This record gives sequence, structure tokens and C-alpha cells, in this order.
Amino acid sequence: MSATLLEVRNLNKHFGGLHAVKNVGFDIVRGEVVGILGPNGAGKTTLYNLLTGFIPPDAGATIRFQGQNILGVAPHRIAGLGISRTFQLCRPFVGLSVLENVLVGALGAGGAKDAGNLDARARELLQRVGLGGKEAVPVEVLSYGDQRRLEIARALAARPALLLLDEPFAGLGSGEIDDLSRLIRQVHADEGLTVLLIEHKLREFMRLVDRVIALDFGEVIAEGLPEAIVKHPAVIEAYIGRDNTLDLGAGHAA
Amino acid sequence: MFNKPVDLFGAAAFIAFMAVLPLIFPGNYLIGVLTVSVIYGIWAVSWDFMSGLTGRENFGHSLFIGVGAYTAGFLNTTLGVNGWWSLPAAMVMAVLFALLMGLPTLRLKGPYFALAMLSGAVIMQRLMLIFWEQTGGEEGINGLTPLIRNQLGFYYFALGVLVVTTALLMWLARSNWGLILRAIRGDEATCQAAGINVTYYKIASLMISAAFAGAGGAMYAHYQLQVSPQLFAVVTSITIITMVYVGGMATIYGPVGGAILLVLLTELLRNFGEWRLMIYSCTLIGILFFLPNGLIAPTWRRVRASLGAKE
Repeated sequence: MSATLLEVRNLNKHFGGLHAVKNVGFDIVRGEVVGILGPNGAGKTTLYNLLTGFIPPDAGATIRFQGQNILGVAPHRIAGLGISRTFQLCRPFVGLSVLENVLVGALGAGGAKDAGNLDARARELLQRVGLGGKEAVPVEVLSYGDQRRLEIARALAARPALLLLDEPFAGLGSGEIDDLSRLIRQVHADEGLTVLLIEHKLREFMRLVDRVIALDFGEVIAEGLPEAIVKHPAVIEAYIGRDNTLDLGAGHAA
Repeated sequence: MFNKPVDLFGAAAFIAFMAVLPLIFPGNYLIGVLTVSVIYGIWAVSWDFMSGLTGRENFGHSLFIGVGAYTAGFLNTTLGVNGWWSLPAAMVMAVLFALLMGLPTLRLKGPYFALAMLSGAVIMQRLMLIFWEQTGGEEGINGLTPLIRNQLGFYYFALGVLVVTTALLMWLARSNWGLILRAIRGDEATCQAAGINVTYYKIASLMISAAFAGAGGAMYAHYQLQVSPQLFAVVTSITIITMVYVGGMATIYGPVGGAILLVLLTELLRNFGEWRLMIYSCTLIGILFFLPNGLIAPTWRRVRASLGAKE
């Protein structure tokens, strides 16, 4: 088994005149937690949509997952191969209960074969993300923080090899952010899951990720350890400079 | 929850009631009305399976009804085939038309999907008139043979088909398959992210829905002993959708009650002359305004709760 889980080369995407993703290339190693950092509009979500097959990249790109070319593969098949994602704005299955939401996540990835265990696994996942006891609740009445947890449970139900989280902390209070960070760390530790997460706030990142890929205007401007990234001149210029704050959250790096 | 004794009791009570009704009040008039109501029930249930569960409201259900009826008409008269072949043939033809309509409308949502499906039915209705030499034009096709000569016998047959259709579609709707259809209604992109082949489920559910609508169409043709382009009319689709709303969307059994209730209501109001449509419309508006979840399914839920059944 090769150490590289995901290999991306020459990834480009134009939307009309907008070059949303420019020559992006990186490797994700099995078992890593990697953060994709970048201000709003840097092309982070577009990158996820390209990786998961929701939109096609411009010609010439290479995307390999577990050594297999997944370029041009339909989104549901990519999910079936082991890439689960969440969305920036929570998109639960409205009209279904909390438990049903997780069941659907398990069903999609060929889970129908061991139907007997689906229910037990879904309940266990809900327990783990802290939604135990809310199984029968309609998903619409969940708080935003709980919807985030549910999304992660839904994504984990498919037993992915790679979990893509799109701004998991957006709209959460600081207590909820701590809880969710702990949860992400825990699933990473328990299952050796490789996690890629998008965030545009540095502070949350520092405690969570092994490595950072910084994007700006669709380009990779820096790549490296979190401590190095916050001192990287290009990142400071692109990111902090614009933000006009010097609170890099570096104090939380430990 | 399907196997709860209370539900089985409810289903048995309904079947017994429908079976006994024409025996208590004999007469071909009532049998005729009940037969039509039962066929509408098949159409409403088949509509609810696809549109109720996935939320893709099909305003052209009459297309599949018409295709089923004309298939029966052609087979039975022009080709002289035994009437019992009409049902399976109608199902196959309706499924083909479901593919024809389903593939180009895959990405359409909400009103766009509804209008595209509606256009399909309108186009077919026009084609029946344009190719009048083959289809009989306005007159349609006459002279179909009855499936069962005894009217009561045919009614029981139709009731049997309704019961089987409802049971089958309810079983599917409450399986993982139905769960995925409801998830598609919830969010298509999340379905894809969860590894679900949304295209497959959309097309397959439309095909299943069309198959039963087509079978109902063939039965209607063999009941009326003729088919006409009127079968494709938009008003048929809208009547069916209203029946589902009154019965309770996405419940499968609710629309059965909705269909029977509305057909009977239409007949009861015959004595009111020109006030009929006014009263009918006001009743409908009243039901939809005060009972947005429908009348039949919520009422049944209340009954079963009072009988001690838990969800």
C-alpha cells in the first residue's frame, strides 16, 4: 500500500473569465490531517468540488486516489471509492430523522449488503458524535452545531478512507468549536482516518492539523507545518495583511 | 411499522368495507362509481410513490395512463389480442415512455420538471389527434372487450389490483429503497456525496410509478370499453395530484382514501347542478387550507395512536 492517498497535479478550473483554481498540485499521505487555508474566494470549495467530481476540472489535470485515476468519475462513484465530504452550509436530508440521515450515508457506499448492522452502526456513530438520544428527532429542528455533528456522522457512515470537511467550524460558538475539534481528532485517532479540512480561520487550524496548504486566488502559495505557515511571508501578505490583524493564533499551536 | 397489527387491521377493515359496500347498496351505478374510484386509487398511489417520496411533482401522470389505455385499445381491437394481455403490455409501454420522459428531465427540478412532464402528456394528446387515421382521433378506439363480464366481478378485480399495488409500493417505500427516495427529496447533492446514484433512483422510481399508472389505464380502457385522447388531459393529472394532497403526500396509503373520497364526493354533488363545482372546489380549498398534511393519513395516525400503536 503506497503512502500517498491522494495525488493532485495540474488542477485548473475556469469559470468564464475567472481562473478559480490555478495549477494546484499536492499529495496527501495516508493518516494525515491536512488543512486547506485561504481567505474567502481563494478556491477552497471549488477544489473540493473538483476532487469529489461535482464539477469537472479543465483539461490536463491528474487526480489519483489510492493510485486510481478518478478524473471524470461520477460523484457517487468517487464517494463509493472512499472519499466522503461535508458541505460548507449544512445540507442534511430534510424531512428525514437524525438516524435516517446517517442510515442513508451508510446505504450509499454499498452498505445495503450488511443491512442488519446498518442500524447498529448508525446508532453507534450518533453516540460518538454526541447526538445519542436524538435519533428520532427530525433533522430540521437540530441546532446548527448539531447539524455539523450529524454531517460528520453521515460522512463517517460510508466508512471513508478520506474525509473532506468544508469549513466545519463555520457558524459555531467557541465551545462548539472545541468539541468538534476534539471529535475530529478522535475519529482520526480511532480509525487512522485521513482528513482534509478547509478553514479560513487560522486559530482553529493550529490545534488540529499536521500540515497546511495555503491557497490564495486559486493558487497554492505555501505548504508546510502550521508553525511555518503562519510565518510564511506570502501567507501573511495574502491573508493576515488583508485581515489587518496580527493575531495568528500561534500561541495555540502547542 | 408496516407489520403492526393495527395497520393490518386497518387495511383489512378498509378492504372489507370496500368489498361489502356494493352488496349493501346493490346497483350497477354504485358499482361503476366504486370501480372508477378504485382505478383512480391506483393512479394516485402510483403518483405518490415517485412524486410524493422524491418530491419531484409529476404534472403529466396522464401520459402513462393514456399510453396504458391506448396500448390496451390497439392490442385488443386492431390486433385482436386477448384482453388479459393488456395489463402487462400497458405496463411495459408505460415504462418505455417513463424512460423517454425521464432521461431528458433528469436534471430538472420543481416547476421545470412539472412543466416538462405536463408537456409530454399534452404532446401525446395532440399526436392522438394528428394521427387520427391510426388512433381514431377525437373518437378514439371503440369496441374493447370487457375483462370480466360481471360488473361486480370486475370491481373486485380492480379492488384486488389496488390492494396489491398499494401493498407493494408501501413495502418498497418503507424499505431502504424508499428511504433513499426520501433522501433525494431532502438533498440531491448530499445523496451524491453519500455515494447514491441519484440518476438510477430517479429513473427507476419514475418507471415503477409509470408501470402501475399504465396498468390502471388499461383497466380503465377495459372498463369504459373505449379509449379517447381525453385520457391524456392535464385535468386528469391535476385531479390525481389533488387526491394525493387530500390523502396525505408520501404516505402511499393516504392517496387511496383521497381518491375514493373525491370520486364519491363528485358523485354526491351531482344533484347540486351548477353549484357542484363551486362546492367541490370550496371543499378542496378547505381541506388543503386547514389540513396541509391531508385528511386521510393524519386521521389514520390519530386513530392508530388512540388504539395504542406507537410509531
